[in-house]
Amino acid sequence: MTQETRPGTPVLELRNIEKSFSGSTVLRDISVTVNRGNVVSIIGPSGSGKSTLLRCASFLETADGGDILYDGEYAMQGGRYADKDMLWNFRSRFGLVFQNFNLFPHYSVLKNISEPPTLRGVSKAEAEEKARLLLGKMGLSGRENAYPYQLSGGQQQRVAIARALALEPEILYFDEPTSALDPELTGEVLKVIRQLADEKMTMVIVTHEMAFARAVSEWVVFMDGGVIVEEGPPDLVLQNPEMERTRQFLTNYEK
Amino acid sequence: MSFFSMMLKMSEGLSKTCAIFFLTLLFSLPLGMLVALMRMSRNRFISTVTRGIISVLRGTPLMLQLLAVTYGPYYLFGFSVSRNKLIPVVIAFAINYAAYFAEIYRGGIESIPKGQYEAAQVLGYSRLRTFLRIILPQVVKRIMPSITNEVVTLVKDTSIAFTVSYQEMFTIGKQIANSQTSFLPFVVAGIFYFAFNAIVDFGMGRVEKRLNYYR
Repeated sequence: MTQETRPGTPVLELRNIEKSFSGSTVLRDISVTVNRGNVVSIIGPSGSGKSTLLRCASFLETADGGDILYDGEYAMQGGRYADKDMLWNFRSRFGLVFQNFNLFPHYSVLKNISEPPTLRGVSKAEAEEKARLLLGKMGLSGRENAYPYQLSGGQQQRVAIARALALEPEILYFDEPTSALDPELTGEVLKVIRQLADEKMTMVIVTHEMAFARAVSEWVVFMDGGVIVEEGPPDLVLQNPEMERTRQFLTNYEK
Repeated sequence: MSFFSMMLKMSEGLSKTCAIFFLTLLFSLPLGMLVALMRMSRNRFISTVTRGIISVLRGTPLMLQLLAVTYGPYYLFGFSVSRNKLIPVVIAFAINYAAYFAEIYRGGIESIPKGQYEAAQVLGYSRLRTFLRIILPQVVKRIMPSITNEVVTLVKDTSIAFTVSYQEMFTIGKQIANSQTSFLPFVVAGIFYFAFNAIVDFGMGRVEKRLNYYR
């Protein structure tokens, strides 16, 4: 539970995050720290608040209370967000990969990836070169001019990952990145994420893929009912959980 | 009067028919977007008032609205909008069509998944850029069939301008029909409207095809 078990400087710190939707509490006093180069997996049943937590960290939801820090700088302090321009700057530090990809259907694959960096001052030529490089890395060379509808779900998700990486984020969030995919396509997406983990990309992954979480993460957080029930190294949390609720949840995943 | 001389005489009114058509589109297409945005405003007052106005414009005949715009000011304040009838005609048409376009735009905008806005936000698109570059192009593609419907209707609705004696094609046809006690001018009018709409259909079909490069 302590910082010492995970060396490195924190990229993301969530402190005492509170969030409720019209009266019902979704997140209660959640604190998570993600250190540089670490992969943190968040697991838990549907409605446990894990996606909401990611959405608060990426400013898609407005948390009601707590602190959000990137590299020790406050994006939110005591429930108050930094101003609009500051938030825009903070957004360049993280990338978010959605469950439903959310690619722009009217843009070619290349444009999906290369346009966002140009909004932050990167030249078009440079952004396109980078996009080609990333597509190669995702195993999608030659699909630059395809449109999203022409790709399989797994390919679309890899384009979405490339799109997030093109902004050179310090931390990458995955919100159930394979939940919309069949097992075969899941495999190709997980392979790419694993490759990123090998390269020491800092990542937070909300997932239901337990074997994968165990293989790639340094830290696993188990959430239920808006609170962190248990957290620790994957071998502990996923193999020998202390809490009864964690055990109960994990038995559903045993073959 | 021969069929062809009728055609010739009525075709003199075609330029005025075209004027109503193109000027109405020119003003109502952008105005409709403004109305749609007001209708979707988070400000309850603005959205409720806009909704009421749309409801009146769609719930009463265009002919009535045209009469109101053309003669209303005279009866109420003792002056006319303009001696050129084209001006009240275009005002009435543009406002009426803007109400219909607004609802089409709104339907289109609301049909775009929330995830598109979220992805754009996370990727650093400003709200304006998100709307113009991400949302609007997708909206245009989705609403094209409905827009075509309205445009085709507009071609035929230009004939309503006869109620204020604006000398467009149908008005001239009606005058010929009266003076010659002949039904032929209406046949000619039918041919003109059908030909006009064939061109509209072709043009809109081309636009839809051009937007078909993605799904």
